[in-house]
Amino acid sequence: MTSVVFWVLAPLAVASGVMVFRFNSMARATFALLISFLAAGGLLIWLGLAYLGTVVILMMVMEMVIMAVFMIAYMMNPAGLMPMSMVHNRRGSLAISVAAFALLAAGIVVTPWPHRMGAPPRDATFALGAALMGPQMLTMITLGFTLFATMVGAVVLATHRGRYDRFGDDLKRRPPADPARGGVGQ
Amino acid sequence: MGVTGLLVRAGAMRPHVLVAAMPGGAAVRLAAEAQLRRRGWPAALSPADADVLLVAGAAAADIAAAVETTWAAVPAPRVRALVASPGEVAAALDAAQAELAAGAPRWLPAGDAAVLPGANGGAASGAGGSHEAHGTGSHHDMGDMDMEMPGGLSMAERGEDRDGLKLDRLHVPLGPVLPDWSAGLVVRLVLQGDVVQHAEAAAVGLMEGAGSFWTEPWRRAAAGEPVTTGVAARRRAAAHLDSLARFLALAGWDDASTTACELRDDALAGRPAPSLGLAVRRLAARVARSRVLAWSTRGAGTLPPDEAAAAGVTGPARRAGGDVTARYRCWCRELSGLTAAFDDGSRLDPAVLEPPRGRLDGGQAPSASLLAVLPRLLAGSEFAVARLIVASLDPDLDELPARVETGHDH
Amino acid sequence: MITSAPLWSVLVVPVLLAAFTAIGALADALLAARADARRLSMGVLVVPLAEVPRLLAAQRRTTLAPDSLVWRLGLATVPVAGVLAAVVIPFGQVTASRMSVGVVWFNAMEVLTWAGLWMAGWGPNAALSLVGGYRFVAQGLAYELPLMFALISAAAGAQSLDVAGIAEAQGRLWFVVWMPAAFAIYLASVYAFSFLGPFGYPAGRDLAGGVLAELSGPDRLVLQAGRWLLLTAGAAMAVPLFLGGGAGPLLPAWAWSAVKTVAVLLLLVWGRRRLPLIRADRYAELAWVVLIPLAIAQALAVALVVLMTGGTP
Repeated sequence: MTSVVFWVLAPLAVASGVMVFRFNSMARATFALLISFLAAGGLLIWLGLAYLGTVVILMMVMEMVIMAVFMIAYMMNPAGLMPMSMVHNRRGSLAISVAAFALLAAGIVVTPWPHRMGAPPRDATFALGAALMGPQMLTMITLGFTLFATMVGAVVLATHRGRYDRFGDDLKRRPPADPARGGVGQ
Repeated sequence: MGVTGLLVRAGAMRPHVLVAAMPGGAAVRLAAEAQLRRRGWPAALSPADADVLLVAGAAAADIAAAVETTWAAVPAPRVRALVASPGEVAAALDAAQAELAAGAPRWLPAGDAAVLPGANGGAASGAGGSHEAHGTGSHHDMGDMDMEMPGGLSMAERGEDRDGLKLDRLHVPLGPVLPDWSAGLVVRLVLQGDVVQHAEAAAVGLMEGAGSFWTEPWRRAAAGEPVTTGVAARRRAAAHLDSLARFLALAGWDDASTTACELRDDALAGRPAPSLGLAVRRLAARVARSRVLAWSTRGAGTLPPDEAAAAGVTGPARRAGGDVTARYRCWCRELSGLTAAFDDGSRLDPAVLEPPRGRLDGGQAPSASLLAVLPRLLAGSEFAVARLIVASLDPDLDELPARVETGHDH
Repeated sequence: MITSAPLWSVLVVPVLLAAFTAIGALADALLAARADARRLSMGVLVVPLAEVPRLLAAQRRTTLAPDSLVWRLGLATVPVAGVLAAVVIPFGQVTASRMSVGVVWFNAMEVLTWAGLWMAGWGPNAALSLVGGYRFVAQGLAYELPLMFALISAAAGAQSLDVAGIAEAQGRLWFVVWMPAAFAIYLASVYAFSFLGPFGYPAGRDLAGGVLAELSGPDRLVLQAGRWLLLTAGAAMAVPLFLGGGAGPLLPAWAWSAVKTVAVLLLLVWGRRRLPLIRADRYAELAWVVLIPLAIAQALAVALVVLMTGGTP
């Protein structure tokens, strides 16, 4: 029973990953990638990591939808209606990817994996939470601040309007001068 | 076909009706809406949702093509009803329901049914419309610009927008057949995303010599007939309620919109002034007081008074002097003021009680000046806001031919 | 003690969900008749059900150069999301799946609507549908984080991500009493993810139906049913999360679950007509600047209470 789950989800993940590069349409490519991620999330659930698998499904759906919005906004021919070759540097990228795959596969097959010591925790979610709140707290804090700084930095770099454009030279103008009105305090 | 016939007969108990309002057919449209409310039949929002296409009023030659495109987009089982006068509406709806329930679905032949036009007003198909060929394409390896795309469409051009993005430009015409929209109005939009980059307003389907339903008392008074202030006040209140109902439906407040429609019909039908006045004042106060509605519409479509004067705008649009919020609140204020005059038997004085959209004795019809200011107000607004702006001005295109003495059309 | 039913009970979930949805639809028909000032009779309740055979028998349509695969897949995703989200909801003392991370599963399944509705908007290659699909993504960005924090508040109050565990932890005091902000945010989010009522912006009248504009026949039925199934699943989930699950005197647990679900559903159906539509560009700022801090503050308050009392109060 359990290996049926593996043999359904794993080829699905690989096949839809391949389809990302075969589809002409940006929308289809994005959702093929989403299906690949959902299959990977399903595999995590099957491995007993229920929380991680469900969170992967949750996060990936949201991220792929947002990615679809940007891909379609920024790329020409988003529906793939005009048959265009979207691939660049065919031979070079093929060589690099085949070499990388061979290296990784060799590494996976040849490595002497250790045997399991102890037993899996009774409640994997609780064990994950306890680890994050205890020994891995420093990792969490560092990651949190790094992500936050990245997001703020990206927004600051992307927009060409700053505080002085919005609030005037004396920073006193209320409401701020925006091209689209917001909803708070107006 | 037994099961399908049963399903069709069951579904015909409550058909969805798409009311295509034609210029000159305002009275028919009002009767149709009242009938639909009484029967509990929903009004369809798009041809895909409709079973019955009710053409309210006579269709002139240039609007007939749009009606045909809309009809082609209605899926089977379907019935078309052409109604020319208000009294015929009930019979036409009964006949349409009977024909639907007759259980013999008229399916479109497979070849013709393959491609059906989009929902946006029947004047163009889907997002294809009138795209122009793509300009330069340096990094894709096609030398031949005559590449056939599916459906014969060419690739969309791109343009700058207010956020610095370059997005595809879609040419989307709104109207003439569109629910919650002025009859005969066509606004051609250039959309990038859902932001209107450019708009052009035009009128189609106007009939010579018809004259507007809403300004009838004033035209009769100008022709010398004795018209009481009460009749004119009721007609003007009904016009404001009609505009308000359309605006509230677009703003998503369906219950208030339905109340406005009922009061409009009551005012025209002669309901006694005390109870009618109370109900109208209550509705006007409720709408004017609504903070959520004001929050949604504040700052949109601002028409400064000097610009309004320059364009020749008169009436509530000029008096409100501001954005969409100010305009619908102006309607509410004027509605409350009009309730006092519902039973007034004195002779109508056009200088004291103006027609709904502005004075008729200016150089051009009041709605013509509204059409003139529309493009500038729409540019740069988002789609939902654009629809609200049009609804807050609510031009009545039936006024246009009646004012044109020289005889040519807009 | 809530037990997990055998695997075939997963098939009962859509049937039960459809039954509650029908109750909600009938209540909506009654309110519509009252709003139109029509006389209330048996016909008022029965005739709106004619929508189902009407849509089943209507002809399906297509548009110029659609992406059919993406379109139909997106349409199908919406009701599937509703049913899958309801799989973890306990009914009385029984649940179809006692997943240890039921709350996160519910959240993940309702997020599938993001993908489904965007695809349903993109598929038909029509301007108004596309705008409707994008409107839902804009709305999603606004409601999702407050919803997540509201769910976290309930989970923190019970110290468990298991929906049945949260229901069982409300033995002494229902969560709605000491987490009112989370409850209010949750109910608003139910409107948002089922795009009904004040958050019906993606299918709005100004877009001639938005995502529904190009749909007819069984496709339209699938999307409309999906909306209402999501609303019902959201209403059903509010019961174990905030209203104590099947707890109550006299009646058996499944009866209390049903009564509470119907009560929340009727509240949502009534509220849908009272409020005008709110546009995403207006409330996006409100959601991020007001609702998220409020939801975080609520979660903080819950966490402090749990720490101080060493368990639920």
